[in-house]
Amino acid sequence: MSYLVGIDIGGTFTDCAIVDRSGHLLTTKVPSTPADFALGMLSALGAGAQALGMSLEDFCREIDFLSHGTTVGTNTIIQKRGAKVGLITTKGHEDVIHIMRGSRGYSGRDIRKVVHFPETSKPTPIVPKRLIRGVSERVDCFGAVVVTLNQAQAEAAIRELLAEGVQAIAICFLWSFRNSQHELQVKKLVEKIAPQVFVTCSVDIAPKWGEYERVTATALNAYLGPVMSGYLDRLNSSLKNLGYRHGLQITQCGGGTVPVERAGEAPLLTLDSGPVSGVTASLFLGAAMGEKNIITTDMGGTSFDVAIIYEGKPAYSFISNTDQYEYFLPKIDLQAIGAGGGSLVRVDAGTRTMTVGPDSAGAFPGPVCYGRGGKVPTVTDAQLVLGYLDAENFAGGRMQLDHAAAVREISLLGKALGMTAVECAAGICRIVELQMADVIRKVTVEKGFDPREFVLFAFGGAGPAHAAVFARELGVKKVIVPQRKAASTWCAFGAAVADVLHIFEHTEILSTPVDASRINANLVALETQAKTLMASEGIAANRQRFEFSLDVRHKGQINEVEVALPYTRLPANYEARLRRLFVQRYEQLYGRGSALHGATLEYVVCRLRARALTPRPRLIRAKNTTRKIPAAAIRKKRAIYWPDLKKHRATPVYDGDALASGNQIKGPAIVETADTSVVVHPGSTLKFDTLGNFELTFQ
Amino acid sequence: MNAPLKKLTELTGLAFDGVRSGYVPPKQLKISPKLKLHRKAKQELDPVTFEVVRHALWNVNEEHGATIQRLSGSPVAMYALDLNPSILTEDAEFVYFGPYMQYMSGVTDTQVKWTLENRSDNPGIRDGDMFLANDPWVGAAHQMDVMLLCPVFYKGELFCWVTNCLHQYDIGGITPGSFCPSARDAFDEGILIPPVKIIENNEIRRDIEEIYLRSSRKPAAVALDFRAQLAGNITARDRVQTLIKRYGADTVKGVMKKIIDDGEKAFLKKLARLPDGIWRDRTYVECCRPGDRQVHRVLLTLRKENNRLVFENHGTAPQVGGINATYSGWRGAIMVALNELMCWEQYYAVGGALRHVDFNPTPGTLNCADFPASVSTAPVQSMEISLYPAYNVLSKMIYPDPELRRDVMCIGGTSQWPATIFRGIDQWGERYGYILVDPIGGAIGAFSHADGISTGGQARTPICKLPNVEHTEQSFPVLFLYRKEITDSGGAGKFRGGLSAESCFIPHGADSITHDTLSSGNAIPTSTGMMGGYPGAVNRYRFLRESNVLEKMQRSELVNDIDELTGQTETLGLRQQDFQQNPADVYAVLWSAAGGFGDPLERDPAKVLADVENGDVSTDAAKVIYGVILGNPEATAKHRAQLRLQRIGKPSGKKLGQKVQFLATENLAVRGARWSCAKCATDLGARKENYKAACVRIDLPIQASNPIVGDPHRYIDPKPQFRQFCCPGCGLAIENEIAIASDPLLKDVEISR
Repeated sequence: MSYLVGIDIGGTFTDCAIVDRSGHLLTTKVPSTPADFALGMLSALGAGAQALGMSLEDFCREIDFLSHGTTVGTNTIIQKRGAKVGLITTKGHEDVIHIMRGSRGYSGRDIRKVVHFPETSKPTPIVPKRLIRGVSERVDCFGAVVVTLNQAQAEAAIRELLAEGVQAIAICFLWSFRNSQHELQVKKLVEKIAPQVFVTCSVDIAPKWGEYERVTATALNAYLGPVMSGYLDRLNSSLKNLGYRHGLQITQCGGGTVPVERAGEAPLLTLDSGPVSGVTASLFLGAAMGEKNIITTDMGGTSFDVAIIYEGKPAYSFISNTDQYEYFLPKIDLQAIGAGGGSLVRVDAGTRTMTVGPDSAGAFPGPVCYGRGGKVPTVTDAQLVLGYLDAENFAGGRMQLDHAAAVREISLLGKALGMTAVECAAGICRIVELQMADVIRKVTVEKGFDPREFVLFAFGGAGPAHAAVFARELGVKKVIVPQRKAASTWCAFGAAVADVLHIFEHTEILSTPVDASRINANLVALETQAKTLMASEGIAANRQRFEFSLDVRHKGQINEVEVALPYTRLPANYEARLRRLFVQRYEQLYGRGSALHGATLEYVVCRLRARALTPRPRLIRAKNTTRKIPAAAIRKKRAIYWPDLKKHRATPVYDGDALASGNQIKGPAIVETADTSVVVHPGSTLKFDTLGNFELTFQ
Repeated sequence: MNAPLKKLTELTGLAFDGVRSGYVPPKQLKISPKLKLHRKAKQELDPVTFEVVRHALWNVNEEHGATIQRLSGSPVAMYALDLNPSILTEDAEFVYFGPYMQYMSGVTDTQVKWTLENRSDNPGIRDGDMFLANDPWVGAAHQMDVMLLCPVFYKGELFCWVTNCLHQYDIGGITPGSFCPSARDAFDEGILIPPVKIIENNEIRRDIEEIYLRSSRKPAAVALDFRAQLAGNITARDRVQTLIKRYGADTVKGVMKKIIDDGEKAFLKKLARLPDGIWRDRTYVECCRPGDRQVHRVLLTLRKENNRLVFENHGTAPQVGGINATYSGWRGAIMVALNELMCWEQYYAVGGALRHVDFNPTPGTLNCADFPASVSTAPVQSMEISLYPAYNVLSKMIYPDPELRRDVMCIGGTSQWPATIFRGIDQWGERYGYILVDPIGGAIGAFSHADGISTGGQARTPICKLPNVEHTEQSFPVLFLYRKEITDSGGAGKFRGGLSAESCFIPHGADSITHDTLSSGNAIPTSTGMMGGYPGAVNRYRFLRESNVLEKMQRSELVNDIDELTGQTETLGLRQQDFQQNPADVYAVLWSAAGGFGDPLERDPAKVLADVENGDVSTDAAKVIYGVILGNPEATAKHRAQLRLQRIGKPSGKKLGQKVQFLATENLAVRGARWSCAKCATDLGARKENYKAACVRIDLPIQASNPIVGDPHRYIDPKPQFRQFCCPGCGLAIENEIAIASDPLLKDVEISR
């Protein structure tokens, strides 16, 4: 037997999804081990081996593809435990990373906080000024060397930084993406003087136009480098010792995976890759179901993440942010808002107003009903008050909830507003559900997609309770709660089914008309880079897949649009077709008539997504379907408050893990699994399909 | 000398109709009966519907702004975020105003009100119409800020307004870009358009659009931006109408009114916690036209009487040259500070607060100028100089309340904009004109509990970003030698103001660049500190002709400062026209930094040490201004005691025994009917008098206020001073003042109740 294994380390649990060649899926969940995450990862594997009745060594020998998503990078940034980084840059431009383009790093922050200046500040610098050295060298916008590299200054800079005790050196010069020779020369110099030090160049991680976002990418990569490569080295050698024979793959934020060696050089790629794996899993399942347009939603305790898959391809963003810093990196676009089970509810009795989030109670103290000292009610408390959750059987019985406490605190809020506890709880859910509808609107309607053409995937513990409401609000016809077995380890499953993906970029701002040969030369260079790298990774040519694209804009404007190239090389008369594709995409995003016909265009970035196909599991479809609901699936009825009916009703409750394919349940009903609770509102129907998903439809 | 100018409340028979004097809306708008207003608003809203619709309205406005940014794509809209969308009720009260360019708030409601009064009869305001407007006497900030006003109708009644304002690249006038530093009056500037119906029955009126575009040097760009504004309004209008269909018109209107009412309640609650009184601030504009060496005074008075605030500009110099703003510019500037200091928790929903704020302008002054004064530079001069004092007076008003005190903010950087306006043929062979956007990087002023934020942007645009050097170098024929934060630029204080930065460049890829300057605040700091804090750096132009920079580059020796180069130093005027920069000529421009809070001798020495290590403060300033001997606590304590003693000679005055009723400022306590030092209880006189008269006054040259300040005589004839007012008992700097030597003491704080 051979296995595909995906492992995802989260803050609390380490999940493992194991798929065999016949499509059987096995999942395990063990506590994460923050002191050394590798231990948790190995114990998740051990649990898998045990479930298969094998020794860990035998199991490791039979793994064909092992892919790993890790939160080590994210944790390093949150806890500020990264390396002491020295930065070498163009003399005169040492402050770029401190000036932060004259902003306070507001991306991704709540606007209420941004507009209140006394609550804002810049982040604690990842590289303090005293660890930044300017070196004389200069390239201009044409890529021409205007000032040659001052070798003596470069060497002095390296030696001074080493004397300061830096563990990593980041190198970023102005315009290096147009001409990288100075960066590479200094990198060589570092490797010669201090081979033990982690060194990274901006052209290796983010060869893009804009020094601030490029230098942050470089500095962040250096900041994560020593921690991450240490972790990965340990893990890799443990796995080798256990008998795993293939290359360990690490999930990356662009979707897909990179080999462990690349992740060691470019650990920035792993940041936020966990939630991205959920999108990868959705892509895979969507393909199996024949769904090409998917809104993926992931609602956990603190946040609600949304991504879009259109025509079978995920939407990308090219600038990300972490810890208030913005950096270049191609990434699957995840929009997040602070709306989760733990979102706090606040009431102002004076104005009779109620708000939900964006602050969260987190896991500690958590919602009131957790009984861990939380005093402020949360969305989870509201769900409990309404009866959506079972106090006795929460999280598969792993946890007992304090129903009375939740009712008490929510009653107090309700009183201040002149509402009963259930009315108040229903109101809390409604507010949070419409906030979610608004963020989905942002990534669909505002980006030119019509939500009515999409199905919505709802995963994460808190999502399926609300999905029906926000889906209906947006006109989405169908909600899928994916693969009930995989649901709780969805991101691990995503890791297991991911392809290897390398993204190569070349930035050169070219105004039309541009000769095809000029762009083709760039495409050839990208392809050569990809082929060389993939060959070194042992990926045979027949497994390699290349997709080229161009970022295009109107000259004089700032918005760039990525246009997928229908060619591997441009024919001489490419321009008319490319312009059509650009206008089509531009107007989809910005509205009909918004493109300036006949205007000069600028090509900014040539991009290559190079994939290596990996072994795929087959999903097994149930052969038999039945309408008859197994007796084992029927649980005791519960009194549940339905906002649409404005009253309580004794409602059927089902054990989702015991339902059979073909079962249909009309709302109102609750379907519980070990990890989540699907709320089937009056007027909706839940179907259990042959792939093991719950499918919610509305009348 | 002409007769002194009078306030609006003292004038009779003068029409504030937007023709000669700026339009000041009457309390009761005169709207034609032809226009039916939707007035019904549901009173009792359930809290859930309220929150859901409120959130949706905020999102409508956000999507409106996002639509403009996406569609315009122009560097002004994207970097400086010089735009703002808003939603107003049928009678033009603010519901929501976006977090972009805050100046545009004060110019929005007035233009809608003017349109209601003057367009409801002829040509009429109907469903499917929109009005284009940019007349600063009706309500624009300056001619380039073009508004598009869109009435939203429901069943034949005017339900509400959605509007937006967007800065245009060029709408005519004698200088490309339409900032006209040498304009004699408005006839030298861009086209003036009182609200005109440009969209009728959902169609663009070609004839009107062509008039609008005809005066522009960049008609295609203006046309594109006009479509962005149009799309923004349509998006917002459609979404409001969807909300009405979903929740009912009366409910949506009820939510709008409640947002305003809640804002009003919150505002009144704050006012109730504050003493009544009068707060004043004074500052100066330099150089009103090429060759001018005078300064032009700006005075702001804030009076609080129970639950009303009144702002006045009386005492401000008469309108003159090319430095003016109209009434709406002055009011808009003050509203920025009002929003940020007092309405932030309402997402800047200022409508409710405005019900309790009066503006009493003095027409004919430089920030409430009559037609046809030159006003094209208003947002970078007259409005900024009107805004920043508003931070000071409002901060001093809220300081007495310990909770509101946390919202105090000192004046930020780029408090006057040192403009670098240049043009020529670029490295790609095309004609260009540009104003360097870098000063948008600003700096944020110190808070009452924390340091300001270095290069944290301009407070008047909470979200903005300056372009990367690589962006500027791609589009224009320049090569930046450096862009760096400047040591000692941040105003000294117990909490330091944020540092500003300097950009330095040479021509690259062009034989020469033609420049204009446009600046003020180069002689006299305009980011004054507060409550003993020192001012941030002045604006500074440095120009080195025929330098050795190219030889140094040849030898692979770049520099970190223009001073490391040799050449002929040239002092640029503040409105110098048409000078050339050749390839070896180096041009550095520093924008002003942020003011500090509290006496610098009270700053934690550990923080001063960290500042020195980080290059924020020089060793010199640490010793002279902060009184810190680095790494030596005992020596520091001794040195600081000496400095305090130096300020006052020997301690004098009597200590008051009464209890402190409240703190009027960081250093000024109210004990019964008397002022006293907040730290040592020394009597500072009767409360009805100016406490400064009881302080030890030290008049220092202006250069003592900040190490970056140079000889003011380079730019102006009058002599500015840095006046310190110290406690005679302990030498604490109670307050500082920046003033022209001949100007009297400023009575900055009066507490009446």
